[in-house]
Amino acid sequence: MIGSSALLAKSFPWRLGASTLRAMHNVVERILNLLAFLLTAGRPVTADEIRMTVSGYDQNSDAAWRRMFERDKDLLRQLGIPLELHPTDAWEVEHGYVVPADAYALPDPGLTDEERAALWLAAKVVHIGGQASGPEALFKLGGSSLTVAGEPLAANLGHERDELADAFTAVVERHLVQFSYRDKLRRVAPYGLVHRRGHWYMVGAEHEDEQIKVYRMDRADGFEIIGTANAFERPEGFRASDAIPSAPWEAGGDDMVARVAFSSEIAWWARRQLTRDTAIVEFDDGGFEAELRVANPEAFIGWIISFEDGAEVIDPPELRERFVARVRGVA
Amino acid sequence: MSSPRTAQRLNRILAMLPWVIANPGATVGEVCARFGYERRELAGDLDLVFVCGLPGYGPGDLMVAYIDDEQVVVEMADYFAQPVRLTAPEALTLLASGMAVQSSGQAPPALERAVAKLQQVVIPDGTEALVVDLSEPVLVGELRRAASDGIVMRVTYTGLASGETTERDIEAWSVFSTLGNWYVRGHCRRADGERVFRIDRIRAADATGARFDPPAEVPPPVVRYMPGEEDVRAVIKLSARARWVADYYPVDVVEETADGGTVVRFSAGDPAVAARLLLRLGPDAELVAGAEVEAALIDLRGRILGHYAG
Repeated sequence: MIGSSALLAKSFPWRLGASTLRAMHNVVERILNLLAFLLTAGRPVTADEIRMTVSGYDQNSDAAWRRMFERDKDLLRQLGIPLELHPTDAWEVEHGYVVPADAYALPDPGLTDEERAALWLAAKVVHIGGQASGPEALFKLGGSSLTVAGEPLAANLGHERDELADAFTAVVERHLVQFSYRDKLRRVAPYGLVHRRGHWYMVGAEHEDEQIKVYRMDRADGFEIIGTANAFERPEGFRASDAIPSAPWEAGGDDMVARVAFSSEIAWWARRQLTRDTAIVEFDDGGFEAELRVANPEAFIGWIISFEDGAEVIDPPELRERFVARVRGVA
Repeated sequence: MSSPRTAQRLNRILAMLPWVIANPGATVGEVCARFGYERRELAGDLDLVFVCGLPGYGPGDLMVAYIDDEQVVVEMADYFAQPVRLTAPEALTLLASGMAVQSSGQAPPALERAVAKLQQVVIPDGTEALVVDLSEPVLVGELRRAASDGIVMRVTYTGLASGETTERDIEAWSVFSTLGNWYVRGHCRRADGERVFRIDRIRAADATGARFDPPAEVPPPVVRYMPGEEDVRAVIKLSARARWVADYYPVDVVEETADGGTVVRFSAGDPAVAARLLLRLGPDAELVAGAEVEAALIDLRGRILGHYAG
């Protein structure tokens, strides 16, 4: 992405690219002028005032000006620049645009060049929703001149990035969110966001409810932010990781202890998926029996099926029956 | 919409200006390296900045930006002295990436510090609110070392679909994690071709003593499933609750049904993959077509229920 205009200029005769480049110059100039004006105005400025004052808007018809201004506002938002509408006076007859200086500026995190480079390397090898991050964020943090080599790790954290970004915004700015989950519409105060074992989870509490619950993001339908910022307080000492169990079947409302027998052929594979503190009884033939806490029977049954006929649910009877019913295809 | 290139260019200008203002005397070489500029591009952006500024647009209103004896000079631009805040996708991606590397135990101390500092500015009231945990199963570290050192490994691998166990010598090119599973991609000497193996299905991995030259370029960390001629196909109707399947399995959506479900075309190297999925989904999935999958489903059902006959 970096240097794409230079690449374009190189691959075409310069006269061909000149009008495109000129048009881009015009937009960049106009936006810089607009932003300079908004950042120094110290008061809300109306669209009319912007049109009369800021260089680049003057020579247009009404319709062309409106289109241009709408496009420019989109561009500002795309860059992460907060553009707000405030009343120009106490009677709230007119509204004007404001770029609040404190919301505009990135507080300096005080990164060293070495820290920027480390962050840059991490951002290059980890993808979210199949996308790697571009250089934009790092430029904002001061760029990095250290060319980083090697690829110690590559990971794709899954999930659509835009929806995840909305969830993250809600967590950071403390907005309520709304989505449909297990056929029920939920309104949730999102305390945190966790990625574990290939899934993104939202940790939060449903309104009026103190109990912290965990929602898998890919099962949340129609996800949207509702209402204003600072709509809730995160509980004192909240740690999102505490809410997420180490196995998917440990997250849920039920609570039972299951006994499962694993055959010798798949024992090595099953063991890798169990936590270290799982109680195990080994058989002479290499198989073993394990005691597992089950809070989500659905997830548990799905996991047992992955072993095909290499695993048998021994106890409790109701879970065994439910498993058999599922396999028979009657539930 | 303005073109993405316009946004990228503005983004870079609004990031470069604060840095030059904070670092007077910065050289052209330094600014170019730091912000990925070519000299000509930087000169072009500075020329642009030079004609912008505050209303009046006279000499006292415009910003001053030029190159003077290899130094980049920016003046009268104090309103651009601070960089623009990160957008939510930018902040999330940076933080999550850093945390992912941290959780794998591969992070240098500089990354630990960077993540902590970034968390402080992005989400000061909840530094424990975002967690990325990419815990590594056994063998990941060994295979990663084999990839970086070019060591041929002999692995004992049990195929996910077939359940068949084989021994293979592999030249590991890269180790990566996607959607919760770890994979090693490389050249399999037994198959004499590029293969991807799920690491949790590798029972043992030992160095053979042989070495190989790692390829210059490694493909991206995705598992691309290419349906082959031999693959079995099935048409499956998924209920609204099972829509997530489309994100985790290679399916083509054929139709969205009125009740919020989907009809998908599923293909796999082995019908057992589809059979296991159908059993798992229970009432949320229905096999519409696919004789081989149906046979596999009946077989799987019979084998499992064999345990429960008594």
